[in-house]
Amino acid sequence: MDKIIVVNIDKCLACKSCELACAVAHSKSKVLQEAIAESPMPQRMLAVEVAGEYGVPIQCRHCEAAPCIEICPTGAIRRENEESPVLVDEDLCIGCKLCMLICPFGILKIGREGRAIIKCDMCLERLQAGEQPECVAACPTKALVCISINELTESKRKKASEQLTKKSREGAKSQTRKKTK
Amino acid sequence: MRKVVIIGGSAAGMMAAIAAAEQDKNAEVTVISTDATAYRRPGIPALISGYVSEPGQVGVFSERTLTRHNVELLCPAEVIDIDAKNKTVTVESEGKKRQLAFDSAVIATGGYPIIPGIPGSDKKGVCTFTTFEGARQIIESVRDAETVVVIGAGFIALEIAEALMHKDLEVSEFLSRRFERKRLRMLTGEAISEIGGEKSVKYVLHKGKKIPTTVVIMGTGMRPNVALAEKCGIKLGKSGAIKVDSRMQTSVPNIYAAGDCAESPDLGTGRFVYSPVGSIGAMAGRIAGRNAAGGNEQTEGFLRAQADEILGVQMFSIGHSATTAKEVDLEVKMQDLAAPEQAEKDYGPRAFELAKLLTDKEDRIVGAQLVTSRHGSQYAWQLYRAVLVSEDRAEFLEHFISPRAKFAGALVQTITSTISVESFEGGESLTWRNTPK
Repeated sequence: MDKIIVVNIDKCLACKSCELACAVAHSKSKVLQEAIAESPMPQRMLAVEVAGEYGVPIQCRHCEAAPCIEICPTGAIRRENEESPVLVDEDLCIGCKLCMLICPFGILKIGREGRAIIKCDMCLERLQAGEQPECVAACPTKALVCISINELTESKRKKASEQLTKKSREGAKSQTRKKTK
Repeated sequence: MRKVVIIGGSAAGMMAAIAAAEQDKNAEVTVISTDATAYRRPGIPALISGYVSEPGQVGVFSERTLTRHNVELLCPAEVIDIDAKNKTVTVESEGKKRQLAFDSAVIATGGYPIIPGIPGSDKKGVCTFTTFEGARQIIESVRDAETVVVIGAGFIALEIAEALMHKDLEVSEFLSRRFERKRLRMLTGEAISEIGGEKSVKYVLHKGKKIPTTVVIMGTGMRPNVALAEKCGIKLGKSGAIKVDSRMQTSVPNIYAAGDCAESPDLGTGRFVYSPVGSIGAMAGRIAGRNAAGGNEQTEGFLRAQADEILGVQMFSIGHSATTAKEVDLEVKMQDLAAPEQAEKDYGPRAFELAKLLTDKEDRIVGAQLVTSRHGSQYAWQLYRAVLVSEDRAEFLEHFISPRAKFAGALVQTITSTISVESFEGGESLTWRNTPK
């Protein structure tokens, strides 16, 4: 998969805007005011978990070798292609909940309707239209970002080299100061 | 053109149909179902709690999916006879009989609910939930009921109890020992001794006490529906279900069986047992379907695993239980399982409500049961893998972790640790300091 959702928990306020946006995105009306009156209540597919003093938004990792795909007896959970997120075909889901059992992050759950498993689809339609998933778009501090793995490593390299040059520039300045004394 | 006939349209049958159609793109695949519409048992709780209003809406394998796979559905229709010699089935629908020829067939006729020999089980108001009609009956009966009794505490029985609570009814549950809260009353320790009333249910008798109720739902297990198979001379196994081989073929060549009507091999021992579980039915159905359409697929065995979330409590049962171990003559020991340290740190000593490991003579894990109210699946998947390979218990405990806590912990550590610039002779380098501030 090209794009992944990256979490910077340093920026996470645990405000749960992402949870709300996710539930609305997967509601029937897609409008908050109407979604809250829907029955069954729309569900979020990611969760902000408490870990010590931090809040950690945990969503489907769309694992490369996804255990849920492996275990699904009907083939309802699958990838359309290598670039596709892990998706559920509701028509094939018999509700055996084996995927719930095997997901290491506890992401999958049964929909309130009791019909089938629901999970993060990375807002596939938005993604295909070149937009960001709803949870990412809703994050007020940009703790959640949707970027490609290349972009991620590139930005890390950039940050590291900036740090290095900053330090040597500072070092050079202090040395010059010493000389002038 | 190959003709494949599938008898039965629930998980095993539909999976067989789709697998057959995938195996042989030109095959003519027909599913014959007695239910009025494609319908799935796990959808019953949703139906009762009112999230969906029509049994048809809990249908899985919709028309769209079937058309996509080129599968034809005949329903409601009943296969009343299989002629194994001439390879035809007799189908009755809307009072008319007709013959249908086949090259291979899959029997997925499912099972009947076991109705325990409690006096009064035949009274009006006693319901089961394995058919479309049964579902309808439950919904009708609970509409005006004030109290409902669910007998049995299996996964689906508990789900139904939960769904009924959404309907503001008082529910009693028997044979288990949790959920002593809200309006769910658990009656344990002894089976119901009588269902009383004249024509319809008025009360049930538990430990000599009368409990008034008008609806009794039986969630007490399944027995295989083998009438059709027996009629055409297909052999049955020791359990009373259809005997199959590792290709899901019955004693009659070209006739396969899968699901709640057939036996299936147990993964660890390879012994054929009766385990009426949806996921096993679907996996077996898939193999049966592929083989019926000319494939050659085998199974070493299926691992029974069940998961559920009821009233916010997650329950997992993986591999053998004491009962199923006995069925395959496996000597087991039940041992307690403590929650990993990280989990106890975050969620206190009651991170697990109940956790047991079943080990064999060599202390290898053959089964696990877990009840927890938080993040059950992160432990369950480790238990599943351990049971899958019969891992040594001591080895398993060494790497038994709370992945979610570990994952969050790692993220926290990433931001509390720093990347610093260090000088060395002739230049500077970046160093990762892995110590929290």
